[in-house]
Amino acid sequence: MALITVSGLTKSYGARTVLHGVDLSVDEGEIVGVLGPNGSGKTTAVECIGGLRTRDAGTVDIAGMDPATDPPELREILGMQLQQARLPAKMRVGEALELYAAFYADPRPASELLDRFGLAEHVRQPFGKLSGGQQQRLSIALALIGRPRIAFLDELTTGLDPAARREIWEYLKLLRAEGVTMLLVTHFMEEAAYLCDRVVILEQGRIVADGTPAEIAGATGQQETSFDHDPELDLAGLERLPGVVSVIIERGRVVVRGDADSPQAVLAALTAVGVAARGLRVTSPSLDDAYLTLTRDGSTR
Amino acid sequence: MTAFTAHLRNETRLLLREPAALIFGALLPLAAIIVMTAIPAARNAVLDFGGRSVIELYQPTLVLFATSVLGLTIVPAILGGYRQLGVLRRLRTTPASPAGLLAALFVVVAAVGLIVTALLVLIPGLAGAGVPKDLGLFLLAGTLGLVAFLALGTVLAAVVRSPQAAAGIGNLVAAIMWFSAGLWLPRVFFPDWLVTLTDLTPGGAATQAMLDAAAGAPASWQPYVVLLAWTALGAGVAVRVFRWE
Repeated sequence: MALITVSGLTKSYGARTVLHGVDLSVDEGEIVGVLGPNGSGKTTAVECIGGLRTRDAGTVDIAGMDPATDPPELREILGMQLQQARLPAKMRVGEALELYAAFYADPRPASELLDRFGLAEHVRQPFGKLSGGQQQRLSIALALIGRPRIAFLDELTTGLDPAARREIWEYLKLLRAEGVTMLLVTHFMEEAAYLCDRVVILEQGRIVADGTPAEIAGATGQQETSFDHDPELDLAGLERLPGVVSVIIERGRVVVRGDADSPQAVLAALTAVGVAARGLRVTSPSLDDAYLTLTRDGSTR
Repeated sequence: MTAFTAHLRNETRLLLREPAALIFGALLPLAAIIVMTAIPAARNAVLDFGGRSVIELYQPTLVLFATSVLGLTIVPAILGGYRQLGVLRRLRTTPASPAGLLAALFVVVAAVGLIVTALLVLIPGLAGAGVPKDLGLFLLAGTLGLVAFLALGTVLAAVVRSPQAAAGIGNLVAAIMWFSAGLWLPRVFFPDWLVTLTDLTPGGAATQAMLDAAAGAPASWQPYVVLLAWTALGAGVAVRVFRWE
């Protein structure tokens, strides 16, 4: 059952329309990634859905509530991590967690979040003295301290080193196991592929793709089968195979692109003519490729 | 712990870590009254001051100095900073209303103002340099001045987007208040037209009311009305103009 339903969400800043009728539905327990280039409306969309910005048109329903009316119960079940929301420079890590814990009926223990986010040793450090990554981790911790059923996390791991990023991903996986529904705004395809059950790609205020990471990658990407070139091989024969789109030679290797069945067909054909496929490599289409194809970033390359 | 108590604790801690607030709003006026109390001559009635002593003459000015710094410069600096940092925005994502933070901030700043005012009365009083003759009215006038400055400081935070600029303008307004309060030239030396003019400012009104209370002179309602009018005006504008983001 959908916990979040958005339909026809439209928002303009002056004459510039940022969201053109966005439709989105998120099921309970689902992790949905919102991808898109800078300026595609990701943050505006999430902030409108979360009720921090007033939408111009459309409807939003979160667990039966309309965020635009700012019902206090919504804030109990929805945790939001915003971009560019800082804390007073002299507020200490532990104090921030203690303060935010006081806003909720049944907060998560600060110690759990301190451990999870690698902040335990910085508990007495003022916010202004934390590194960018530590500030970011504290910010996520504050969004989660109220034990929210739903979490909106905007630019979750931007500015974090790979190890810290992994740790946060692992923690979010734990939260998923607890049944927390999440909307993640992200730039990292790897993050979306790793965490998200489903991703939507936003491009100039419109959703241009909606599906599982694999579906989206498969819809636009191609399987690539490559092996060392053997002069004996009849390349034209490979091109005629079903599902094969192109065959080229790149740096001494034969590269065959085609649909999901093409690697199987290529291997069968090679076996049939008795050519050994040395250095064989089959690569799946990546979400990166799909993303670049679907968005403006791709069309300019 | 409720959200308000948590804010209160937090704002108290943060304000105590803010040296500018404490040095100008608290330590400086307290140092001044201690120095005055320590000088025996400052207790003698001065004919030129209309028979008042230096302490009696400057006590209201120092109260006004402290409360105006706290209300007019510290409040806009903190509030504007919170808005600029996104603190208020983040609070909107929680079940706690940002209004709770505002209320806590006012309570903490007002508490510092009241403590400083009390000490400004208590220090010379305990040292035997005398207390205002009508102590109740003196404290009432000082408190109403403080409340008016809190309201006007919130207006500054609402109207001026940059916290630095708001605090800067706050300083300028505060300096006008200090002049009205007789910091540079005691009010007893003001020509009549300047008395009339400055009586209409919260600084002049609060100081005049405190001077009258200190001397035990019959209280005039006028300065109290002026203070309440500025508070009402400030609060009205602040409520209309203030934006969380």
